[in-house]
Amino acid sequence: MRPPASDVDPKTAELWDRHQHQHDVISTRTLGYFLYLLSDAMLFATLFAAYGVLSYQHSYFGGPTPADFVKPWYTFAQTMALFLSVLAYGFGMNALKNKNKGGVINGLLSAFILGALFLALDIHDMAHLASLGVSVATSGGVSAFVVLTQVHATHIFFGLIWILVMMAQVMTKGFTTEVVGRLLTLRMFWHLQAIIWVFVYVFVYLWGYMS
Amino acid sequence: MSHGHDDPTLHPEVQMSTSRGYFLGFAISSVLMLVATFLVTSHSMPPFGLLMVISACAAIAIIAQIYFLLHIDTSEHNIWNAVALVLFMPLFLITIGLTWWMFSQLYLHTMIMPGMPAMVH
Repeated sequence: MRPPASDVDPKTAELWDRHQHQHDVISTRTLGYFLYLLSDAMLFATLFAAYGVLSYQHSYFGGPTPADFVKPWYTFAQTMALFLSVLAYGFGMNALKNKNKGGVINGLLSAFILGALFLALDIHDMAHLASLGVSVATSGGVSAFVVLTQVHATHIFFGLIWILVMMAQVMTKGFTTEVVGRLLTLRMFWHLQAIIWVFVYVFVYLWGYMS
Repeated sequence: MSHGHDDPTLHPEVQMSTSRGYFLGFAISSVLMLVATFLVTSHSMPPFGLLMVISACAAIAIIAQIYFLLHIDTSEHNIWNAVALVLFMPLFLITIGLTWWMFSQLYLHTMIMPGMPAMVH
């Protein structure tokens, strides 16, 4: 049998590409993290569904409803704190594009301070509710309201810890593949919290205030 | 999708950031939230119309944030994020919508709803 005519010399042929230019570590991780974030958004879907079915008049058991305790302009201030925090993170990512370490740290620090302001306003709001005697035990409607808004606040809390960790890693490790990948996944996490907040603000706070 | 591996800051997900994009996403969603808050506090519209307007504000703000902040678009680099998000949306809406619909039917058939005429026995 004659071997098939070929230009390839088996003694020198490369059977695989050693440079792996198709494998993109950062993109693989960010896509995986994006899918995780979408499943996190499904957690919010179940809480929105619970709030939807527990926001009828009878769900409040004759007690206070969001129309009695929501202050739209106060919560609007919270909204601006979160949006500005996301903007500051964005400017930090822009500094990353230019390999500007100081710019990244400033962006992360501003995002942290504004995110902490959001969380402080939220805790103050919850303390105010508690002082009015409104708690998760008041009624099913208030329960759904508090759980939904505080699950979002918990995401912000963990995001703030993550921002601190990334500031430390940027300062100690610099822009390695791992650190840059984590900055990108934190960017998605932080931006997704602002997107979820639009739903929470409009459909829980504002709609609750109207009805 | 081959790019330089020596320098992770050259990765397209880093390089696609622009200050203008972040600022536009921020400005559009802030203005829409301001409009929604103003309309709700001024009580100038009937409730159903108001609900439609603030829902539209929320929808546009979310689209602006997804496009300008998350950079989800149909470019070669982002197409799989876009596909995942598009396939996710029906799950999100069905979970909320069907649950709400089932319970609203349950309430309708088992108890007197507020604002409805009392049942005649």
